[in-house]
Amino acid sequence: MQKGFFKQFILICQFEIKRGFTTQKGLLVLVTFGIVWSVILLYPICFAAELVRQEKGWAQDFSFFEFFGLGAIHQWPIPEFGVLWQLALILFPMLSITLAADQTCSDRERGTLRFIVLRSSRDSIFFGRFAGVLVIQALLICVATISTFILVSLRQVELIFSALPSLLAITINLILVILPFTAMMAILSVKVKSARQATIWAILIWTFLAGIISGFAEYLPMLSYFKILVPGYQLSDLAQLSGWQTLQLSYIPILQGFFLLMLGRWIMVRQAL
Amino acid sequence: MRQSIIQCQQLNHLYYGKAALSDVNFELMAGEPIALIGPNGAGKTTLLSILSGFLRPTSGVVRLFGHQPGAAQLVGKVSALPQDARLDPSFTVIEQLVFYARLQGLSRHLAIRESSRVLEAVSLTESANEMPPVLSHGMAKRVSIAQSLIGKPELILLDEPTAGLDPVNVRKVRAIITEQSSETTFIISSHDLTELDRLCRQMLLLENGILQSEKMGVNEQHGPSQFITLQMETCSSSDVIAKLKALKGIVTVTNSQKNEYIVEYDSFLYSQMDLEVIQCIKANHWKYRQLSHGKTLEEKLFN
Repeated sequence: MQKGFFKQFILICQFEIKRGFTTQKGLLVLVTFGIVWSVILLYPICFAAELVRQEKGWAQDFSFFEFFGLGAIHQWPIPEFGVLWQLALILFPMLSITLAADQTCSDRERGTLRFIVLRSSRDSIFFGRFAGVLVIQALLICVATISTFILVSLRQVELIFSALPSLLAITINLILVILPFTAMMAILSVKVKSARQATIWAILIWTFLAGIISGFAEYLPMLSYFKILVPGYQLSDLAQLSGWQTLQLSYIPILQGFFLLMLGRWIMVRQAL
Repeated sequence: MRQSIIQCQQLNHLYYGKAALSDVNFELMAGEPIALIGPNGAGKTTLLSILSGFLRPTSGVVRLFGHQPGAAQLVGKVSALPQDARLDPSFTVIEQLVFYARLQGLSRHLAIRESSRVLEAVSLTESANEMPPVLSHGMAKRVSIAQSLIGKPELILLDEPTAGLDPVNVRKVRAIITEQSSETTFIISSHDLTELDRLCRQMLLLENGILQSEKMGVNEQHGPSQFITLQMETCSSSDVIAKLKALKGIVTVTNSQKNEYIVEYDSFLYSQMDLEVIQCIKANHWKYRQLSHGKTLEEKLFN
């Protein structure tokens, strides 16, 4: 790490957060998220949570959620969090692919990155931008979980204390879940020319890499271990867990994030600006 | 003793297998502005990009003040105006300049003061709170020059600082360089040879990625043969050539361009040839626009 790394890292991270919350583009994203999340909260979460509560009261074996492979919702003590958990595991990685797509690419194409690199190390730019985007997403996750917590509290105020562990477990977990996705977008952003290209590449990698590895693993089973490199590899297993159990698999996104960040740093240092 | 600011040894850079720079070797000292010239595709921008730390050379050694380009020790000491680089369209000019100044280690208060100073230097104080997309090309260029002045760096690399600017803005840029050149060494890449001729006393000539070392150094006033460049108002060129050639000590007179003459003379025998030439002009009732010692940069390069 170069001299002055942390100071530059903090400044770049702050500037990125400022971009997310004060610029026209950033505000548009926030307003869109707010509207979409309000709809999700008031309809799918409310409706599904009500259905879960009703199912718990039924004597019959049939479960609507188990039919769709979402039986793990029943393991959550508070249904709203069970539904939030299932939805968030799909929604936030997808959001990450779009929100974190433009960490450096448009600035590099425009030449703005050259002004910055004259005054700071490439490490501080790479990690500072990554951290800034991660903080913005973490705040959106907090909005999602806290709004669900408020919804639960409004329904039954006595649930406040029993809802707190679920709130914390989901918030921490979701931040960990988006970590490798954000790191993957940081790498793509270093190489591609636009945010759109980064998103397309991310979808291709996400969708096909696991399939390709599985295909080759048919012939060479050892290759199936490489699936661990694909961000979101643990999501299907994670969806079956509830409460603090969800942290059992947290080592996967942490290791993926670390590996992807090191790879991204290696590319960034060598990238022509 | 003057300090060596840039050292390049065996510098090579390849773009997809094609050599953009080939075995470039030079050492530059701090001092007056240095011109970096060459035709399109000669490798000027590549060289400046390597010196600025935007690009890693394929091979060779580059040192700026004894450090590798991009080293932390160079922050605030070396700055650049990258070709065609634009500011972030989402933030105001002042927000970005303050951000850059803070990255250079200035406190918030000092960063605001420094940003205002550099904007004032490029006569853009009133545009401080504008968003970059509303700036004209000339204003955007001047803002880019302003960012390069933050923190009074010792070395500034300017890639095409006057490209696309109107004459008023060109004058402003020239004035900035002249004002700052007592404290800062400028390396200026440009196709505007007249501009470089006015500003620079040293030059680096690149052709096809190869440094033409024999043409380094603008000042050729060392041998017995010296030159005067004479720009005349409209008058008969044959008459001018004939009359000037008749003066004692004149070796040759060539009509390099319309109304422009290059006078070669023996400076050991006739050191005050400029006065002789002016007297000749007066005696023949001609009018001249400009008389200057030496050849123009264009003449040196192409003739």
